[in-house]
Amino acid sequence: MSSRRSRQSSSGARISDDQIVQLISKLQQLLPGTRIQRSNKASASKVLQETCTYVRSLHREVDDLSDRLSQLLSTIDADSPEASIIRSLIM
Amino acid sequence: MKVHTSSKLRKEFIKKWVKGLQICCSLKKNMDILERKKKIKLCADIALASTKNETTLWSIALISDAKKDDENKILVDNLLGPESRFKPRMTNRQMIACHKRVRSKKILKKSRHVCQKMKKMGPPKSNLAAYIAKTLVKRRTQVLKRLVPGGESMDEFSLIKEALDYVLSLRIQVDVMRTLANANEVLNQSDSKIID
Repeated sequence: MSSRRSRQSSSGARISDDQIVQLISKLQQLLPGTRIQRSNKASASKVLQETCTYVRSLHREVDDLSDRLSQLLSTIDADSPEASIIRSLIM
Repeated sequence: MKVHTSSKLRKEFIKKWVKGLQICCSLKKNMDILERKKKIKLCADIALASTKNETTLWSIALISDAKKDDENKILVDNLLGPESRFKPRMTNRQMIACHKRVRSKKILKKSRHVCQKMKKMGPPKSNLAAYIAKTLVKRRTQVLKRLVPGGESMDEFSLIKEALDYVLSLRIQVDVMRTLANANEVLNQSDSKIID
């Protein structure tokens, strides 16, 4: 476990650097605002930063949506006919 | 294949979410708007984590965090089934001890790191760039650790893997909630039209 954490040696103990690079490029593909041509070697720190920003914005969206929904749903009683209409719409 | 999986996840999320909201409603009839919001969000998070079936660290951490609150524990147990499945991984005392261990290891590592860097300080230019890059990565990893549930106790490799999965799941959550909010708005508008 601790050898995995050690980043001082660039040989990267049990997990190859290659695997990490692959993961980072996968992460990069998820992020919004991907330009058509992304440089092959994504800067790890940039990807990490954008990931953090993205996760934070997703959290904020969930929060805002919860706000909206609590205002719109006067009751979260799922037996109402309203709820069944909604359910059929989103399923 | 990715689309297929995501629509299955969506359905599972919606089912669990609605079920959670039903349980909330049966547990407490009249809520004020703030409480309702919290319940909606909580149910959404638990539903999201449960779609993973304990296969990811973040989902396990999210649920065990939710269970720490006594009030929520009842909801989680009712929603997800028998208690034994989602036992919090560590007791609070164990978690504090674990954190202390992690912190002291970090402090040791940091001092060792600094010492080594001091020794290596050869031609400053080439080292400086690498040093800055490493520091940036380190700092941002720390931030990401705080954002992903359970991230604090993950190694870097797992952290990135978990972050990938977490982002995908969050997107599903946002998408479903947004669809519901929009649908609801339309319904409310048309409702008022009919009444008038």
